[in-house]
Amino acid sequence: MTPAATAATAATQDLPLVDLRLPALPSELKGARDTVSAAAADFGLDAKRRYEFVFAVNEAVTNAIKHGSPDTDGAVGVLVHARGDVLVCTVTDCGPFRPRVAPPRPDGDGGRGIPFMTALSDSFDLLVEVGRTTVRLTKNRSAETPAPRV
Amino acid sequence: MANFSVNTDLLDGDVRVLHVAGDVDFDAAPQFKRQITSRIDAGERRIVVDLSQVTFIDSTAIGVLIAAIRRLEAAGGSLSLACANDEVRGIFEAVGLENVVPLHQRTEDACAALAIA
Repeated sequence: MTPAATAATAATQDLPLVDLRLPALPSELKGARDTVSAAAADFGLDAKRRYEFVFAVNEAVTNAIKHGSPDTDGAVGVLVHARGDVLVCTVTDCGPFRPRVAPPRPDGDGGRGIPFMTALSDSFDLLVEVGRTTVRLTKNRSAETPAPRV
Repeated sequence: MANFSVNTDLLDGDVRVLHVAGDVDFDAAPQFKRQITSRIDAGERRIVVDLSQVTFIDSTAIGVLIAAIRRLEAAGGSLSLACANDEVRGIFEAVGLENVVPLHQRTEDACAALAIA
């Protein structure tokens, strides 16, 4: 391949950084955050962007844990990979996502954190299938250089 | 709830200050909620929640705070927040919450805000 083609290929290859399968237990959240934060640091997100990314990922993993049953082995999947200047996190669970269609409850519970995920990531995608929900969040390495949508 | 904790003071006779530390996530949320609602249930009406030692807070916990603020206001009381932690402040600003739920720099400022309410 020509050097330009090689560079273009390298920029779009996915570099896996994190591949976790977690039980759907709230006690798993802290470890998942720490692992994702370390990968985001290795990738080169600065402290503020790293905190925002981890916050968004935590929302997605929290939702996955809420949907899953604790006794299902490996009910929640957390993948983080880098594609060029974009860090991508994909969170999967085995339950159906239930978007909030009712007004927020007076006691404040039940929110799905979607406004947080969209505000704190550079892209947010939700895929609901029978028996599986997937959330995909991305964060560009730098705020100054928005990468093409991957 | 690996590192979640709450220490409390009572200032000026009737201001309950809750100093929250550690990660306030979905795992810690029930305990966090209980810390606040038990005070309100006991009749306390002026509460300051100090988030300065919080290392992580999620939307569940923010929802608990907003619900508590609304409940107290309906009961003629007041809840204000203190947080000097830039990362937590950054989250509130990113989702536009700082206008809905002001984060005071210091506990003293949050207490003063209660007096005005």
